[in-house]
Amino acid sequence: MTASAADYLACWVGGRHEDLPENVSGTVRLDIRDDGSTDHWFLTIGDQQVGVSRSAEEADLVVAGDREVFDRLVAEGTHIGAALVRNDVTAQGDLRLLMLLRRLFPGPPDARHPREMAVRAVATHRTSESHGGERQ
Amino acid sequence: MKQELVNVLTGNSFAVSDAQGDMTPDPLAPIGLFSFDTRFLSRWVLTIDGKRLKALSRDEMTYFETRFVLVPGAASHYVDADVSVIRHRSIDDSFNERLVVLNHSAEPADYTVRMEIASDFADTAEIKKPRERRIVAVPMPAEGQLRLFYQRERFARETVVSSTAPVEVDPGGMTFRIRVPPNGSWTTDLHIGMIMRGAGARDLRSSLEAHREQIRRDMREDLRRWHERAPKLVAEHDGLRAAYEGSLDDLAALRYTPLSIRGKLPVGGLPWAMALYGRDAMITCLETLPFTPELAPPTLRLLALGQGGRLDDHREEEPGKIVAEYRYGENAVFGESPTYLHYSAADTTPLFVILLDEYERWSGDADLVRELRHPARMALDWIDEYGDILGDGYVRYQRRNTRTGLENQCWKNSPGAIVDAEGRAPAPPRATCEVQGYAYDAKRRGARLAREFWDDPAYADRLEREAAELKARFNRDFWLPHRDYYALALGPDGEPVDALASNMGHLLWSGIVDEKRAEAVAQHLLGPRLFSGWGVRTLADGQRAYNPVGAHLGSVWPSDNAIIAAGLRRYGCDEAAAQVAAGIFDVVQMLGNPVPEVIAGYHRDLTRFPVQLPHAGRPQSWSSGALLMLLGTVLGLSPCGESLLVNPALPKGAGRIELLDIPGRWGHADAYGRDRAPGDRGPRPRLR
Repeated sequence: MTASAADYLACWVGGRHEDLPENVSGTVRLDIRDDGSTDHWFLTIGDQQVGVSRSAEEADLVVAGDREVFDRLVAEGTHIGAALVRNDVTAQGDLRLLMLLRRLFPGPPDARHPREMAVRAVATHRTSESHGGERQ
Repeated sequence: MKQELVNVLTGNSFAVSDAQGDMTPDPLAPIGLFSFDTRFLSRWVLTIDGKRLKALSRDEMTYFETRFVLVPGAASHYVDADVSVIRHRSIDDSFNERLVVLNHSAEPADYTVRMEIASDFADTAEIKKPRERRIVAVPMPAEGQLRLFYQRERFARETVVSSTAPVEVDPGGMTFRIRVPPNGSWTTDLHIGMIMRGAGARDLRSSLEAHREQIRRDMREDLRRWHERAPKLVAEHDGLRAAYEGSLDDLAALRYTPLSIRGKLPVGGLPWAMALYGRDAMITCLETLPFTPELAPPTLRLLALGQGGRLDDHREEEPGKIVAEYRYGENAVFGESPTYLHYSAADTTPLFVILLDEYERWSGDADLVRELRHPARMALDWIDEYGDILGDGYVRYQRRNTRTGLENQCWKNSPGAIVDAEGRAPAPPRATCEVQGYAYDAKRRGARLAREFWDDPAYADRLEREAAELKARFNRDFWLPHRDYYALALGPDGEPVDALASNMGHLLWSGIVDEKRAEAVAQHLLGPRLFSGWGVRTLADGQRAYNPVGAHLGSVWPSDNAIIAAGLRRYGCDEAAAQVAAGIFDVVQMLGNPVPEVIAGYHRDLTRFPVQLPHAGRPQSWSSGALLMLLGTVLGLSPCGESLLVNPALPKGAGRIELLDIPGRWGHADAYGRDRAPGDRGPRPRLR
C-alpha cells in the first residue's frame, strides 16, 4: 500500500534536503481539494531545510489541485511540471519553486539506476558474443 | 513545384503560411499558427467575393512582421484589379493581422470578404497525421469573436479570433459584407489570442509572475537594442557583414521567454525545434559569448531549474542531469511523444559546467557562478555517478525508455548515427569520444570554479587529478594507432568503434587531445575523406554508412564545424581553422541567411553550389551562432585575465575584418584582422 499525499507530506517532506540548492528559499502552499473541503499544507524552504505545517497563509507559490492528483504525484512519481502543463494542478506565483517540489516528492517507484541496466546489457552482450564465437 | 512558405516568429510562437498569407494543413510542413508546441490555427484562408488572392508583393519587414499586397484571381494573369488587399501580420504573444481593402475604382464597391478559420489543436509532434479531436467552435457575433476550444481532461487550449470591424461570425469563419467608397479603403484588425487554460479558465501564464512581466509590446525597439548591444562588424566583403547582421536577426527571432524565469533564451529553430533543447541552447550560448552574452544567464538558470532531481526511466532523468528537451504540447504532457521534459542526452550535463565557466571567463560575472554552485556541483557529481555507468571512467549512455527514448544520446542523435567503419552499430551502453572530451573539460573548468569562487581547493585538486587521469586513459583507449585517429566511440567491452567522423574535432575544442596527435587529427579533418570543400562531414566518405544526405552520416553541419574550427585554433592549426571557416562563410554567402542547419556532404567540386537538405531547419539558433563563433575564431578572440586577446588568422581572401565594441569583462574592446599576404610574418597576439 502506498502513502497518500497527506501522509507523505506529514512524514517525509520536513527536514534536511541536501539536493536543494542552499541559496534558494521561499514558501509554498499546497491546496489539496477533496469533496468541497481544502487542506492547506504550508512548506517553508530555506538553507536546504524544509518545514511543513498546516496553514492557509499567503505563500510565494500556491499550487492547487484535487486530492487524487496529489496522491498520484506521490504514488506514481508524476512530474509536478507535467501536472501543471496538463492543468491537473494550477500554480500561482514564483514558478521556480515548483520545480524544486520535484525533489521533495518521490520519483516513480519502478525507476532504475542507469548502472543497473548497463551492467545487465553488458552481460547480455558478452553472452551473445560468446555464442557467436561457438557458431564459428 | 512546392510553394514557398512564409513565416513570422518570436521565440516558441510562429506562423507559417503560403506566399499569399493563407494557411491550410500540410502533412509535410507545420503550417498554421503555433505557440507552446500547439497549433492554434490550422486554417486561415482569405477570399474576396469567393475568390482566393494572389500576392503582388511581400515585405518581410522583421522576423515578426510581414506585409502582403494581394489582388483577387489566379496567378500568372495580367493584373488589372480594381480592388487590392493589404494583409499585414505580426506575432508577439498573440497573432495580429490587419486587413485593408482598397477600392481603386471611381465608384463605391460592395465586397464580401471572408476569412475561413479552423484549428485542429495538433501537437507539433504529430503534424504528419494529427489525431482527430473534438473542437468546439462558438461564434459570438455581438463581440465580433469566434472562439475555438479543445479540452482533454483538464488540459484545455483555446483560440480566440476577434475583429475590430463589425462582422458575421459562423463556426467556420468570419464574413464581412462591406461597402468601400470610391478610391477609399476599409480596415479591420484581427487579433488571435492563444490560450492555455489554467486556474479558473484563465490563461495559465497570467498567474505566473515571470511570464507576465516579460510580455512586451515594442518588439521593434527590442530588436534595435539587440543589434545595438552586439559588436559591429566591418568587413571588406559586404556579404559577410550581411550574413552577420542576418544571423543576429535570426538569433533575436529564436529567443523565447519561458514560464518560470525572467530573460530570454534560444529555442532550437524552425520548423521542428521551436522548443528548448538543452544542447542546442548551450552550444548557441557558447558560440555567441563574444557577441550576445545575455543569452547565457537565463539559459543556465532555466537549465539549473529543470535539473534532474529523481530517477525516472520514462524521462531518463537522474539527479543532477541537465535537460535534453522541454515541450508543452499535448502529446508531450500526456507522455505520448518524447515527453514534456526529458533527459535523453549524455552531453548536456558536462556542457552545463563548461558554459558556466566560459561565461564567467568572458563576462566576469562571479555572482552567477556562486548562485549556480549547487547545480554545477550536482552536474559534476552526475558525471561519475550516473554518467560513468560501467565504472570504467567513461560517460556512456543507454536508454531506459525504450519507447520514446533516444538510441543515441549525443549530438548525433539519429538512430544509426554511431556505427563503425563497416556500418555496424555497437551494443549499448556506448561511450562516444566527444562526450569524454566534454567530461574532461567540465572537470578542469569545475576545478577552476571551485578554486576561484567556491572556496573549495581540495575539491579542485580532486577534479584536476580526475581530469588528468581521464585524459591519459582516453588517449590510451580511444587512439587507433594503425589509423592515426581517435575512435568514434567505445562499445560495452571497451572495443573501439573505428569510424572516421567529425566528432574528433570536438576533442580538440575540449583540449583532451595529446599535443603530439593534434596534427594527425587536423590532417584527417581537412583531408579528402572528411572535408567536402564546404566543411567537415559528419562521417567520412568511404565509410560503409557514408551518405552525403544522411543527417549524421555524411552531411555538413555549420554548428559542428564552428566547434571544430575553434578546436583547430586551440592546437595552433590556424590554417586548417581558416579553411573550415572559409568553407562555411562561402555556404552562407551562396545560400543567404538564415544559415542552414545542415547541408549535403557532396564534394564542392561536384555540385559547385551547397546542396540543401529538405529536412534541414532554417533558422536554427546553433547554426546562426556558428557564423558568429567562426568569426570569433578567425579573429582569435579569447579572454585573458581582464583583457581581450586578439590573435587573427583569417582565411585567404577575407581582406580586412574589424569587430568593434566586443562586450565583456573589459567593458568594450575592438578587434582587427587582415588576411596574410604572401611573405607576411603574420600578426602577433595583441592585448587590448
